[in-house]
Amino acid sequence: MKIGLEVHVALPTKTKLFCSDLAYENQEEPNSNVCPVCLGLPGAKPVLNKKALEISVSISKALNCEITEKTWFVRKVYFYPDLPKGYQITQLDGAVGIKGYVDLNGKRIRIRRVQIEEDPARIIHEKDYSLIDFNRSGVPLNEIVTEPDITSLEELKNFIEELRSILYYQGVNINQELKTDLNISLAENRVEIKNVTGVRNLIAAAEYEIKRQTALINEGKKINKETRSYKEDSNETVSSREKETEEEYGFTFEPDLTFYDTTKLEIQKAIIASVVAKELAYKNEYREKTIRELILFNKKNLLLLTSLSKEEFKKGVSLIEKFASFGIEDYSEEDFKKMIKQDISSIEKGEFLRLLGKTSKYEEKADEKEIEKGIIEMLSQDKNLLKRGITDGKAMSFMIGKVKEKYHVTGKEAADIIKKVIKSMLNN
Amino acid sequence: MTSSFLSFEDKGYKDFISRLKQENEKLNAFNFIDENDKSGKIISVKDNICVKGMPATASSKILQGYIPGFNATVIERLEKAGFSVIGKTNMDEFGFGSFGLNSEHYARNPFNEEYITGGSSSGSAVATALIKGHVSIAESTGGSISAPASFCGVVGLTPTYGVISRYGLIDYASSLDKIGFMGKSVDNIREVMEKTIGGDPKDTTSLSVTISNKKPNKLYVIDNLMTGVNEVIKDRFEDLLAKLSAKGYKIEHTKIDYLEYSVPAYYIISMSEASTNLAKYQGFKYGFKVKDFSLNYNEFFMSARKQFGKEAKRRVILGTFIRSKSITQRYYEKALAIRHALIARMDKILKEGFIIMPSMPIFTPKISEVKDISPVEAYSMDMLTVPPNLCGFPHMSFPYFYEKGMPIGAQIITNHFNDYSLLDFLSEWESDFKYKFKEEIS
Repeated sequence: MKIGLEVHVALPTKTKLFCSDLAYENQEEPNSNVCPVCLGLPGAKPVLNKKALEISVSISKALNCEITEKTWFVRKVYFYPDLPKGYQITQLDGAVGIKGYVDLNGKRIRIRRVQIEEDPARIIHEKDYSLIDFNRSGVPLNEIVTEPDITSLEELKNFIEELRSILYYQGVNINQELKTDLNISLAENRVEIKNVTGVRNLIAAAEYEIKRQTALINEGKKINKETRSYKEDSNETVSSREKETEEEYGFTFEPDLTFYDTTKLEIQKAIIASVVAKELAYKNEYREKTIRELILFNKKNLLLLTSLSKEEFKKGVSLIEKFASFGIEDYSEEDFKKMIKQDISSIEKGEFLRLLGKTSKYEEKADEKEIEKGIIEMLSQDKNLLKRGITDGKAMSFMIGKVKEKYHVTGKEAADIIKKVIKSMLNN
Repeated sequence: MTSSFLSFEDKGYKDFISRLKQENEKLNAFNFIDENDKSGKIISVKDNICVKGMPATASSKILQGYIPGFNATVIERLEKAGFSVIGKTNMDEFGFGSFGLNSEHYARNPFNEEYITGGSSSGSAVATALIKGHVSIAESTGGSISAPASFCGVVGLTPTYGVISRYGLIDYASSLDKIGFMGKSVDNIREVMEKTIGGDPKDTTSLSVTISNKKPNKLYVIDNLMTGVNEVIKDRFEDLLAKLSAKGYKIEHTKIDYLEYSVPAYYIISMSEASTNLAKYQGFKYGFKVKDFSLNYNEFFMSARKQFGKEAKRRVILGTFIRSKSITQRYYEKALAIRHALIARMDKILKEGFIIMPSMPIFTPKISEVKDISPVEAYSMDMLTVPPNLCGFPHMSFPYFYEKGMPIGAQIITNHFNDYSLLDFLSEWESDFKYKFKEEIS
C-alpha cells in the first residue's frame, strides 16, 4: 500500500498573500475584504507578503526541508469561477522548501515539497444558483506534498498527528481548516481523492478507500486509475467521472513577481522558533500558554532557549515561567544564565529576587497614599492629561503605563487609583 | 526651449474639445474624450492604462463598459504634478498588432488617412501629432511605441524595463510591457518622464535606480539587422548616418549573433504570457457581461471569450499551446535562452556606444496594402523594434526625413538605465531638424 498526501494549510498572517486586505479578521460581510489585486481586476499587480514567506521558510525548516535560496512562483492556469485571474499563483520547481522529512518512530516519511500559494475564493452553492465570496481569495496557504511513503492507515494517523504537532508550533492549527488531496494505491493504479476537508474525513476517506480497493483485489478485479471524492454523509468515496487525461495546467513563470532571496530574509526568529518548536513538539509537558505567549512569540526568550543544552531546556522553560509570574521582564542573558544554575522549583518571589540580586527594584509595591501623591504630581505637571482624563483611552493608557512602571502595581490597580485621583481633583 | 503643454481656462477647454472631437471623427485617435473641464497641463493616455473614472477597454469588446476605480501609478504621479488626462487613446486590442488595425474603429495616419498609423499605440501617436505641445502616455511590449511614432512622425521613447511602474497597466506580457512616451519636443517628454520614473511598492518588477545620461560618441550599425530593410530606406538611413557623422559621431559596423531568432523568441514569450494574462476575462465581474444565466459554465465562459478579436484569439491559442507540458521545453525555454544571449551581446556593444537603425523596415504602408497580409508577415515587421524590447533596453524613435510627405523614423538604443542619454541625443538632433506636422489643434 502506498499513500501520498497534498496537505493545504492556511498561514497565520494578518493580511493576504499578495495584497494588504485582512486575511482572517472581519470576514462576516461577504466581499468586504477585497481590492483590485485579490479580485484580479485588470491592471492590478501582486506584491508578496514577506511574512508569509518567512513563515513558509520556518515551516519548511520544521519539516527538515532544504530551503530554496532563490524561490519563485508560477501561474497554474485553469478556469473556475472562484479563480479571479484565471490562474492561481503557486510554486513548483522554485518551491520554498524541498526534500524534507518527518520521522515517525523510526519510519521516515519524505516531504517532496512545501509550496506557497493563494487560496481561491469561496463558492457557496445554493439550490439553483451559486454565490462567490472573494474574502478568501488570496489567503496565504502552504501546500505540503509528501512522497508516497505512508504504507498503512495507522501510519497515516501517526503522520497527521505529527504534522499537527509540528505545525501547531508554527502558529498553524490544522484543526481549523485542512484540505487534503489523498493518493492511495493498493495495486498498480493510483486513485486520487480530491479535496477532503478536515482530519476526521481524511482518515475516514482513507479507511473507506483501502477497504474498497482491498475488496476489488480480492474479487480479482482491476482498480481504475481515477479521481474520486469523499462524501461525508454516506461515508464513502465516489468516482468524479473526470476525463482521465494528464492534467494540463500550462504552468509558466509568474512574471509579475520576482525571485525572492530566502538567505537575506529576516527569518532568524522564524528559524529559531522552528528549532525550539521541534524541541517542544515532542513533549506534552508544557503549558500551551507558556509555549505560545512566552516562547514562540517572544524573541528574547526564544534566543535564550536556543543557547541551552537539551538537558537544560526544560529548566529554561520553567525559569521563563517564573520570570513571568513574578512580573520580571527586564532580565538579561547574564541573569538568565545565573538563575538556570539555581534550584528554583519551589522558590518564593523574595528569595528569587535575592538570588537575582534585584531586590530593591522589585520590592513590595508602594502603598496607595504614595501612589496617589505621585499621580497628583503627574497631573499637576500636565494639565492636558487631567483634562483628557478618563474619557480619553490614549491618555488613560499612557498614565497606567507610567504608574505601573513606577510602583509595580497591576494595570487594574493603577487604573482604579488614577480614576479616583482624577475625580477628586476635578471635584476640588 | 521651454515646455509648452496646452492648458486651458474653462471656456477654452470646451472649444478645444469640440475641435478635437471633429478631428477625431476622421482619425479615431481617441476611444474616449473627457468633456469635463481640465485645469492642468493636458496629456492623453493609451487605453490599456487605468485612469480612475474613465473607461479602460484596451480596444477590446470584452472590456466594454469597464471603468476602473483606481489610477495607474503613472497617472497618480502625473496628476500630482499638475497634469490632466483628456482621454484614452486608440490601440490594437490589448497591444496585439504592429499596424494599429486590430481595433474595431482603427486609427488613421494624420499625414494621410489612407495610410496606417502603426501599432499598437496607434492613437497615442496620432493624438501627439495632432495636438500642439502634446505628450501621450503610451506602452510598448515589442515595438508598440517605436512603430507608430515612426509612421506618424513623432518621437517615441521606451524606457528601460522596470523604471516606470506597471501598476494599473492592463497586461499584455508582463515581463516585456513598458510604459513610455510619445511627444514632439524633448522638453515635454523630459518633464513627463522625470515625474513618472522610479520604483513603486505596488509593482514588484519596478526598480528604484538612478537614471544616467552617459553620452557615447560611437554609433553602431548592426549589419545583419539591415538585410531585411527596404533599399530606399537604407539609402535615407545612410544620409542620416552622414549627418550624424558630421555632428561628431563615429560610425561603427558590427554583427550580433542570434538576432534572426529575436522575433520568434519574442512572440513565444509574449504569447505565452499573454495567454495567461487574458485568462481573467470571463464575462462576469467587469466589462462585457454574459446575461444568459441558463448557460452552463463552459458555455457561459465561451460566449464571453467570443468577444476577443481574431488576433487576441490567435495569441491565446498559440500561447496556450506553447505552455503545454510536452512542448514548453522545445519553445519557451529556448526563447528564454535567446533572450539572455541577446542581452549579453547587446550589452557589450551598448557599453561602447549607441546602436542605431531605421525604426521600421518599410515605408508607411496604405491600409489596403496590409489589411490582409499573413500574421507571420506582419510579425516580421517587428524585426527592428523587437531586439531592444525583448532585452529591456531603453530606445527612442525620432523622425529624420520626409519621403513624399510621409515621415521616416530612426531608432537609437542605449544601455539599461542610461535613458536620459536618449533625450540628450534628441536635444542635439532637434537643434537643426525641423519637424513637420499637419495642422495642429490648440
